Amino acid sequence: MENPLTLEPLFHLGPVPITEPVLVTWAILALLALGTWLATRRLSLCPSKLQTVLELFVTTIDAQVRDTMQRDPARFRALIGTIFLFVLVANWSSLVPGIEPPTARLETDAALALIVFAATIWYGIAAQGLKGYLATFAEPSWVMIPLNLVEQITRTFSLIVRLFGNVMSGVFIIAIVLSLAGLLVPIPLMALDLLTGTVQAYIFAVLATVFIGAAVGEQTPSASASSSAKETRP
Amino acid sequence: MSFDWWTLGLQTVNVLILLWILSHFLFRPVSEIIEKRQAEATGELSHARAARAEAEAALTEAQARDEAVAARRAEVLSGAQAEAEHAKVQMLDEARREIAKLRTEGQAEAQRRRAEAERALQDEAAELAVDISERLLRRLPETTRTAGFIDGLAQAVAELPGQTREGLGAEGPVPVRAAQALSPEEAGLLKSRLAEVLGREIEIALTTDPSLIAGLELDAPHAVVRNHFRADLDRIRQELLRHD
Repeated sequence: MENPLTLEPLFHLGPVPITEPVLVTWAILALLALGTWLATRRLSLCPSKLQTVLELFVTTIDAQVRDTMQRDPARFRALIGTIFLFVLVANWSSLVPGIEPPTARLETDAALALIVFAATIWYGIAAQGLKGYLATFAEPSWVMIPLNLVEQITRTFSLIVRLFGNVMSGVFIIAIVLSLAGLLVPIPLMALDLLTGTVQAYIFAVLATVFIGAAVGEQTPSASASSSAKETRP
Repeated sequence: MSFDWWTLGLQTVNVLILLWILSHFLFRPVSEIIEKRQAEATGELSHARAARAEAEAALTEAQARDEAVAARRAEVLSGAQAEAEHAKVQMLDEARREIAKLRTEGQAEAQRRRAEAERALQDEAAELAVDISERLLRRLPETTRTAGFIDGLAQAVAELPGQTREGLGAEGPVPVRAAQALSPEEAGLLKSRLAEVLGREIEIALTTDPSLIAGLELDAPHAVVRNHFRADLDRIRQELLRHD
C-alpha cells in the first residue's frame, strides 16, 4: 500500500512538480468555475430552483458570519464561502473512484490554514490598524503576549492537523477495508466519510470565521472566540 | 513523512484563484440579486405603505367629508324645519288675520245688509203708512176736503213776505188748485179770506187737482203756498225716508 504521507509528483511543468492534489484541485477549480458560471448566468428576481439553492447557500453563509462576528458579512462572505465550498467538494471528491481528496494531503490543508492565518492578520489590521491589532496580543495583560503569539501558531496548526487527520484517516480506513474486504463493504464507511467531510468543511469555515472575527473587533472577544474554537473541535 | 513546498505554494495559489472565481461568479452576483430583490421588496413595501397611508388619508378625508355633509344636512334640515315652522306660524297668523278680516267684513256686510234691509223696511213701512194715510184721507167726506183748508191757506199767504204778497195777482189771476171743485160759497169764502189778508181783492183761477187729496194750493209767480194733504203726506214721507 502506498504511504499516505508521501507525495510523488505526477509530472513536472518546468521545475515545478505537479502532484495529484494539485491536479485534483485544478479539476475541482474548473468544475466549480464552470458550475457557478452556468448557474449564475441568468439570475432573476423570480428565482429558479437552482437559484434558490444558491441564494440559500449564500444567505446561510451570511447568517453564520453575522452570528459569529456581529458584523456585516459582505467583506468576509467570499473567503468563508470559498473555504467551505472548496473543503466540502474536496472532501467529497473521495467518492470518485481513484481520486484522493486534496484535503487528505498536508500541503492542501496547510495552504488553507495559511490563507486563514493571513486573512486573520489582514482583516485584523484593516479593522483596527496595525497598532490596534498588535495591542490585542497584550489582552487582557502584557503577560499574555507570548501565549497569544503561540496561540496564533497553534490554532493554525490545529486547523491543518484536524482537517488532515480526519480526511486522511477516512481515506486510509476505506483503503484498508477495501483491500481486506469486498467491493461493497466500504460503502457505509464512504457514506460516513461524506458526513465527516461535511462536518469538517463546516468546522473549518466556522473556525476561520471565529479567528477572523476575533481579529477584527472587540464585539467578539478573543477569549470567547478561542473557547468557541476549542469547543467545536471534535 | 514528506512535505512538498511546491504543492503548498500551488495549492495556495489555487485556493486564491478559486476565491476570486467564486467571488466573481457566485457570491457577488447572488448577493447582488438578493440585495436587489430586498431593495425592490423594500421599495414595494414602502410604496405599499405610502399607498396605504394615502388610502387611510383618503378614508379619513372621506369620513370628514361625510361628517361635514351630515352636519350640513342636519343644519339644512334644522334650518328648513325652522323655516317651515316660521312659515307655518306666519301662514297661521295670516290665516287668522284673514279670517278675522273676513269675519269683520262679513259682520260689516251683514250689518250693512241688515241696515239696508231695515232701511228698506222702514222705507216700505213709510210708503205703506203714507199710502194708508192717503187711502184713509181719500175717504174723508168731500165737503171737508176744501172748506177746512181755506183759513189755513189764507194764514199761509199772510205769512208770506210783503213783496211777495204785493206781487200776488198783479200779473193776472192767481192760479189756485183744489182737491175738488169748489162750490161758489167756498170760492167766495176763499176770495174774501185772501182779500182780507192781502188787504185787496185779487182774481183767482180755480182748477181741480184730485192728487191733492184734500186742501188747496196757490201758485204765485214767486211763491207756492200749499195747504193740502198731498203736501203734508209728502213732507211726512220725506221725514220718514230721511236717514240721518
